[in-house]
Amino acid sequence: MSLPDTPETGGTAATSEATAIFRLRNVTKRFGGVTAVEDVDFDLRPGEVHALVGENGAGKSTLMKMVHGLYTPDEGTLEVGGEVVDFSSPRDAEAAGIAMIPQELDLFPELSVTENLFVGRHRPRTRWGTLDRNAMRTEARRRLRSLGVDLDVTITVKGLSAANQQIVAIARALVGEARAVVMDEPTASLTEREVQQLFRIISDLTSGGVGVVYISHRLEEIFTISDRITVLRDGHHITTASASELDAEELVRLMVGRPLNELFTRHPHELGEVTLEVKGLSRSGEFEDVDLVVRRGEIVGLAGLVGAGRSEVAQSIFGIHPPEAGDIRIDGEDVRIRSPQAAMERGIFYVPEERRSQGLILPFSIKNNITLSILDRISRLGFVPRSERQIADRFAKELSIRGAQLSDPVSRLSGGNQQKVVLAKSLAREPSILLLDEPTRGIDVGAKSEIYRLIDDLAKGGKAILLISSELEEVLSMSDRIVVMREGDITGEFGRSEANQEKVMTAATGGANRSASNGSRKEASEDE
Amino acid sequence: MSAATAVLRRLKFSREVVLLGVLIVLMIAMSLLSPLFLTVGNLLNTSRFFVEVGLMALGMTLIIITGGIDLSVGSNLALVSVAVGFSYAAGLPLPLAIVFGLVVGVAAGLFNGLFITLLDLHPLVVTLGTFALFQGLAYGLTEAQAVSDFPPWFAYFGQAYLLNVVPGQLFIFIVAVAVVWLILSRTRFGRYVYAIGNNEEAAHFSGVPVRRVKLALYSGTGLLVGMAAVIYTSRVYTARGDSGLGLELDVISAVVLGGASIYGGSGTIGGTVLGVLIIATLRNGLVLAGVPSTWQVFVLGVLLLVAVFLNEFFRRREE
Amino acid sequence: MSEVRAPTPAEERGSSLRDTFRRFMLRPEAPALVFLAVLALAFSLSSDKFLSGPNLESILVSVAVLGTIALAVNQVILCGEIDISTGSMLGLCAVAAGAVAISTGGLILPLLTGVAVGALCGAINGLLVTLGRIPSIIVTLGMLYALRGVILLVTGGTWITGIPDSTTVVGTGTVLGVGYPVIILFVLFLVMELVSRHSTWGRNVFAVGGNRRAARFAGLPIDRTRFLAFVLVGVFVGIASIIYMGRAGSVQTNTGTGLELQVVAAVVIGGTSISGGRGSALAALTGAVLIGVILNGLILLGVPGTWQQAVLGALILLAVATDVLRRRLVGDKA
Repeated sequence: MSLPDTPETGGTAATSEATAIFRLRNVTKRFGGVTAVEDVDFDLRPGEVHALVGENGAGKSTLMKMVHGLYTPDEGTLEVGGEVVDFSSPRDAEAAGIAMIPQELDLFPELSVTENLFVGRHRPRTRWGTLDRNAMRTEARRRLRSLGVDLDVTITVKGLSAANQQIVAIARALVGEARAVVMDEPTASLTEREVQQLFRIISDLTSGGVGVVYISHRLEEIFTISDRITVLRDGHHITTASASELDAEELVRLMVGRPLNELFTRHPHELGEVTLEVKGLSRSGEFEDVDLVVRRGEIVGLAGLVGAGRSEVAQSIFGIHPPEAGDIRIDGEDVRIRSPQAAMERGIFYVPEERRSQGLILPFSIKNNITLSILDRISRLGFVPRSERQIADRFAKELSIRGAQLSDPVSRLSGGNQQKVVLAKSLAREPSILLLDEPTRGIDVGAKSEIYRLIDDLAKGGKAILLISSELEEVLSMSDRIVVMREGDITGEFGRSEANQEKVMTAATGGANRSASNGSRKEASEDE
Repeated sequence: MSAATAVLRRLKFSREVVLLGVLIVLMIAMSLLSPLFLTVGNLLNTSRFFVEVGLMALGMTLIIITGGIDLSVGSNLALVSVAVGFSYAAGLPLPLAIVFGLVVGVAAGLFNGLFITLLDLHPLVVTLGTFALFQGLAYGLTEAQAVSDFPPWFAYFGQAYLLNVVPGQLFIFIVAVAVVWLILSRTRFGRYVYAIGNNEEAAHFSGVPVRRVKLALYSGTGLLVGMAAVIYTSRVYTARGDSGLGLELDVISAVVLGGASIYGGSGTIGGTVLGVLIIATLRNGLVLAGVPSTWQVFVLGVLLLVAVFLNEFFRRREE
Repeated sequence: MSEVRAPTPAEERGSSLRDTFRRFMLRPEAPALVFLAVLALAFSLSSDKFLSGPNLESILVSVAVLGTIALAVNQVILCGEIDISTGSMLGLCAVAAGAVAISTGGLILPLLTGVAVGALCGAINGLLVTLGRIPSIIVTLGMLYALRGVILLVTGGTWITGIPDSTTVVGTGTVLGVGYPVIILFVLFLVMELVSRHSTWGRNVFAVGGNRRAARFAGLPIDRTRFLAFVLVGVFVGIASIIYMGRAGSVQTNTGTGLELQVVAAVVIGGTSISGGRGSALAALTGAVLIGVILNGLILLGVPGTWQQAVLGALILLAVATDVLRRRLVGDKA
């Protein structure tokens, strides 16, 4: 539970009880069989900006949800102002002065700025008991001005730019007299200029004694603005240090640095012809000018952070949301893919990121899940043949699906086995191009290596595989080539031998140098 | 788990048995209300009514399984009925008029389907609009008149007896039940229907042609409505613009009673058929007892509420 | 959440005429109001009887019942639910109020009776939706038929006639040439505008219908908000039943049949979104007036009354389709 010495912020190694706005002590949170957060400490001091970093799945949002009352720790305590509290809802957290600004902002698009500030809060009233709208408007204007912005508070929020919407969200938190504000990826949709504006606001907030938890992947921002940085990895607390003690390289190392235990060794083999070629693929707001090439027998890893646009690219190739611009070529032939069926006809199959909501039909049996995508191939005159069971059985055995019978609902299986069912469904279709989106997420180590072996076998058998993964060592050990995306653009491409964690992570986060071109891309999209 | 919950759990698993029990109890109750009830003649006549509701309920079952709903079936029936009657009165040979009617039924269903799939509109609102539109067309086109002078053989559909005992339309119904049951439980189309109702997104990601399935469902229901309309018109021997008023209540109630969740994802043909039987028995029994139709409708309304409530209550207990 | 990005903060403070016009056109009621104006113009050109005072007034009177109920159902739809039981509710309230009117005469007691009965029905709807967790379409569908039966039970099939003049004055009396029904309609409209904009409940309705998840996280009383909306419908139906009695002079067992559809049509056509969170009292009023104008126009054009239902259905479909198409064109991903 001890923190490293932090000379810059006042000398004492541990934040004393009285001075922390809130403190999480030894908290653990589990979901089913998966431990999201284990034995983590985190505290926020008044007037500080405390950055929370880690890879996807490290536990950052789970940790903050506990602070905001959405989750209750299974073990450990949450203290606010030195006293142990037990929040049963976000309302309790807000009453205690802890506000959260999620990435989606949670505003009401059809209501005005003023109303958004006051929803659910005490509103000033006139003599007659009706809402005093003038007072509300004045207060709204005052709040926004104190954040350095002058907006028309009567217009509906959906007409505002992303930056201004965020400011409204911050103002809303302040109307609730928040002493701690948690910001989740606040700069994701902002231009350079707006980011500076946000920093000014944050700095004003902190000089007023408000504490800010800043969750972000943008390393250079973190170093600009934060006082302390906490690193989480795999649900564990790795370190908490003052920003001046770390640099980008070391931060990256702390975020990812598991010993590169290769659970699975891939032996590279001969690659075949180019089979999937994507050029200039674009979809406004999601990704822009994406080029990809995948050969038969090749595994191309698509690395990047959440929100980089990787799933969107894959889903676009698979026909879920056709691209607005660009070409897709399969075996040299230009194709237009407008639906998943069309993609499947062309030999492409996409294994979705969200196993439970996109990949499986939970009440269905394992058998029915496996065969769902091949029903059109195996049925005669529309009827599903008895041989369906054998076919499903074959794939279940091939993938060693364990834990339940074929006729049991798939919801009964463990995460790893459920993922195998999704894979079985895709393999049953005998695709030549596989788009795998986070295939080993939420799966235990043993099942993971089974799946790696399977993917390798598939590549050996000549399939072209695009492997989307946020786990660096997975991407590094499995891919023949790695393509990195960041905020909709391709920011790097590395061959197997030259790739390493730092290079990939730097390309994924923008490292220490934010390129000018990224800024201008934002400016351009602002004008739409 | 308490003893009561254990009993409830077992009940839930054999819903069809429970429904059968309810049906038997109901029949006993009805026969007590009126001595005429339990005669063979009456029972067979009841079947005439429930064939119409039953045919429509078959289509409605699949629609509700996918999480949708169709409030326009009653009005569609009226539209088909007048299409048949008035095209015949205008000179079209009756067989063609019947075909025309069926085409109108399918077209109306397709109209619903297109609005729902192409514009991504909620089935509730669309079928509320078509409920008015179809009925309005039926009423307006016919200017509230009726056609009744059909040739004698037309009565065959609705009033004939096969083997001198069994009403003709019962056979049509049994065939329809068999076909729809086969489709739902043995074909990939049926699998797709359940998939869409349980998780439309995952179904889409798995290559299920969601739009096409929905279009087929609404059009298919339109066809079934058309068939029901022909039988109905034959039975009452009149084509009027206000036929079928309020039938959607019977149809939806039957499906829900049969165990389908109004939120989609579950439902069986067997359950629906039992639901139809229960409702038909109720209606028939009440008519024999001299209960006016508004009262019958009252009972149905309450029944619908109770059925949905119990459905969801047990479903949530299960979780 | 939808993201329609405005260019710069400066323009958000726009005060020019062009901006005001643009802001008006983006309001939910704008298409309906424009359509109303166009229709009024068209009808007045083809028939000089249209724009006459008496004709206009008779249009408004004819939609007084519809408009009153629409103002309340508007709130239900705004918070993301629906109510199609209002036709039978009207019948029941009218029966109750009528029975009281016959024995006591006057306005107060019948009004209170109607409102009480309506509020009770609304409360049942509200409870079944919130506590029973039954979808509102099913609840109100069931109630539509159940209440019709209750009407029959209570009246035994006979009409209620002989309602005293002291009660029917509501329908026939005028103030400065304007009928009471119109005055009541406008007063209720103003009340709803006030409540909708200025009361906590009114704003909560928008929040609950617009983004239920965020509303839950903001700790809003979602169940209470919806329950009150259903009760409000009952109250307004009660008021409308007095107007109805005043106009019709008697209450039949099939009073109100088919009204529920007109009410939903009015709300939707006027610009309130069927998915909730977007709309206004003005939209409900505009929609009701629009329906009145259309039906009036049809009569003037000599279209038989049997076509009314079809026109209504077509209008509903048109309204929801254009709402979707308009949002798609604007690029609203909400």
